[in-house]
Amino acid sequence: MIYNRSELGDGIGFTSVIDDKFKTRSLAVYLLTELDAETAAVNDIAAEILTVSNSRFTTYAAMCEKLSELYGAGLGSSARKKGDAQILGLKASWLDNRYAIDGEDINGEMLSIIRDCLFSPNAKDGAFDEASFAIIQKDLLDRIDSEFNQKNVYASIQAARLAYRGEPAACASYGTKEGALAATPADAYRAYRELLRTAQIEIYYVSPEKDDTFSEMFRQCFGGIEREPRKVNIRSRSPLKAVPETITEEFDVNQSKAVMAFKTDSDDRYALKMLSIIYGETPFSKLFLNVREKMSLCYHCTSRSVSVKGSFFVDIGVDRSNIERAREEILKQLDGIRAGGVTDEEIENSLMALDNAVLQVGDTPSSYISWFFDCFCDGEIMTPEVHFRRFCDVTKERIVAAAASLRPDSTYIMLNREVQG
Amino acid sequence: MEKEIITGSRTGDSCIHVRHSSGLEIFICEMKGFSSIEALFGTKYGSVNTMFRTSADKEYTTVPEGIAHFLEHKLFENEDCGVFELYARTGASGNAFTSFDKTCYLFSCSKNYEDNLRILLDFVQKPYFTKENVDKEMGIIGQEIKMTGDNPEWRVFFNMLSGMFREHPVKTDIAGTVESIARIDAELLYKCYNTFYNLNNMVLSIAGNISADKVLEICDECLRPCGDNGLETVFPDEPAEIVRGEIREKLPVGASIFDLGYKCAPRSGREMLRAAAAASVISSLLSDPAQPMCERLLKEGIVNSTFGGEVFYGSGYFTLNFSGESDRPEAVREAIFAEIDRLVAEGIDEKDFQRIKKSSYGMLIRELNNVEAVANLMLNSYMEDVGPYDAIDMLSELTADDVAELMRSELRRDRCVLSVIEKEE
Repeated sequence: MIYNRSELGDGIGFTSVIDDKFKTRSLAVYLLTELDAETAAVNDIAAEILTVSNSRFTTYAAMCEKLSELYGAGLGSSARKKGDAQILGLKASWLDNRYAIDGEDINGEMLSIIRDCLFSPNAKDGAFDEASFAIIQKDLLDRIDSEFNQKNVYASIQAARLAYRGEPAACASYGTKEGALAATPADAYRAYRELLRTAQIEIYYVSPEKDDTFSEMFRQCFGGIEREPRKVNIRSRSPLKAVPETITEEFDVNQSKAVMAFKTDSDDRYALKMLSIIYGETPFSKLFLNVREKMSLCYHCTSRSVSVKGSFFVDIGVDRSNIERAREEILKQLDGIRAGGVTDEEIENSLMALDNAVLQVGDTPSSYISWFFDCFCDGEIMTPEVHFRRFCDVTKERIVAAAASLRPDSTYIMLNREVQG
Repeated sequence: MEKEIITGSRTGDSCIHVRHSSGLEIFICEMKGFSSIEALFGTKYGSVNTMFRTSADKEYTTVPEGIAHFLEHKLFENEDCGVFELYARTGASGNAFTSFDKTCYLFSCSKNYEDNLRILLDFVQKPYFTKENVDKEMGIIGQEIKMTGDNPEWRVFFNMLSGMFREHPVKTDIAGTVESIARIDAELLYKCYNTFYNLNNMVLSIAGNISADKVLEICDECLRPCGDNGLETVFPDEPAEIVRGEIREKLPVGASIFDLGYKCAPRSGREMLRAAAAASVISSLLSDPAQPMCERLLKEGIVNSTFGGEVFYGSGYFTLNFSGESDRPEAVREAIFAEIDRLVAEGIDEKDFQRIKKSSYGMLIRELNNVEAVANLMLNSYMEDVGPYDAIDMLSELTADDVAELMRSELRRDRCVLSVIEKEE
């Protein structure tokens, strides 16, 4: 694998990864901006609309037809949040020319499609094309409505809203229904121009051989854009609530859910991750072995550390009558770790799991992109091996200290409505 | 024990196939340059296999719904420790799944694959069921059933199947019900285990950063030969007709969803693969935003980007389904009916057909780029009784007439079921 990162302009990074084992090429363009409930929805629409049509393929149908002619090339967008940042992405992947049966130049075609999507979008008179806008606006409104279809996703969103109330991270990565309804094609186009001017931009290109055509295209196209990039605050510790809060909702569901949020003032993200692995992230964790296997209370009970926000979550799906028992056991297991209940074997097993996971970076183009983008967000580019060695330095004392730093902040509970007899 | 090299004619990709002396079929793909390893040890035993006998049985045995899935959970417990504890020591990520017609145990790792393979082969061949550990699992699986019961996509799909199939057990939830699993005990689990976990009914598929010779050496060391038990699985007679054309249920959801499916004649082997390829082209034709019908549905806001098609097939069932979010699923049904009529009357545009074939070809090539996908491809090819690279060849041989014929003969309005999950008011 050959890795290279260069700056194409002010606040624009271009990372290329060459790995000859792949049959495909992949590209990701990430635009980082401050997550703001006022602008999140229109930003999301702006990023999504780019992949529906462009100045050459002016309808969604024409764009889809072209992409399927190119052996089903993938072109899509994404919105996610990391800390207090909104990360908007355009992603594409396509077969390398070697696999084109009729000798088509898939690489060249994709370069021009992506160039037009980003720098010659389907817009006129300061507004995106209305038909493309309507498709994307409806998609976003439906996505917001369908949050409630997946109950575990809904519970996690509600828990984040409660834990981060008053902070940018309380907002979903794709914004609010009000924001989506209020947006117009002109608003979305303005938002996109603003993103091109102010967003931090990171581009990733994974190919089986050296290919400078994409970096050259981006250098040239961004050269014509006046840039004033704004630093985005990804890492921002969420304050602990003065008094822990609980929000409960009741629905006609089969299973109750609880999401417990903790806050920490620890900056030791490696120890927090190790804590989460030992406590609830794996099938050898304390929550799996005790709450699930020993007490048979649930099918899933997991933990996750969100170190960029100084927060830590435990999720469980459980019968309404067992919520309190489960909560007690979850806290008892945490107390056990706080009291030093971590074995050398648990640490060793966690390291083995991490070692296996980091070694798999590079087995797919997307794993390279995720790896290097996460490094960028963390402010430090390193190899997976160096990253792993940081975990090796974590001692039992640091894990215990990380557990001791967790303070209960809030709990979201979804109750299954009890049937009256 | 002979090694057969299977090579894909289009891409030159190859894998090794061995019929092991123990009775097990083994597929191995050494993937140069990749770090990870994916291994699956699977049996042709899924939720639909509720009635069976071996050559030692006079009568057929009928077992409670959900027992294959229950058995999968219980195999993770050895007499002395849990399997996850063993994987924890090697760093592998172990898991398992039960589908309609198979149960698979798998691990992925990038180190110690030899030890992980020994763990996998060992625990799957070493059942340990007791009253206590079976009772303990009831609560865990009961919660899993409740969790999936709250998943509207799951519900809308099974409602559709129940509208399609009168007798075939495919209509029943893979995990069964809280009531059906209550009838499962250790003795019944052993009966199912001894019937279906015979190596002659199983496959090992392993891909990635491995040595084929080393894999076979470990297989020689760990596999316990067993004689063919003359397994017979049977399914109740299933009429070609559907049960109900429309099923609606109100649930607490944010967006209404639908699943619209056509019940087709079941097939097997290469015939099934050919029909699946043709049905997949139909699915693309009808759900492709490049086509006028789908373009119109999107423009009119009747569907959104979740709209898509899927071919669903296995032992005794073959369906073509369309699903998505919509407040007007009847309008989707009408549009699909009309478009099928049009395509049957006017024929399939050759340009569209070739474009969709290209797109499908691209998807198949992309699979070969991924260790996990290659391991699954080899496993599924065994389960479907075809070769790992047959799908690419089959696709290249497929004609627009094959597709039109399937459409004409199988996609009948009276064999179509619309299942809808509606928002509660």
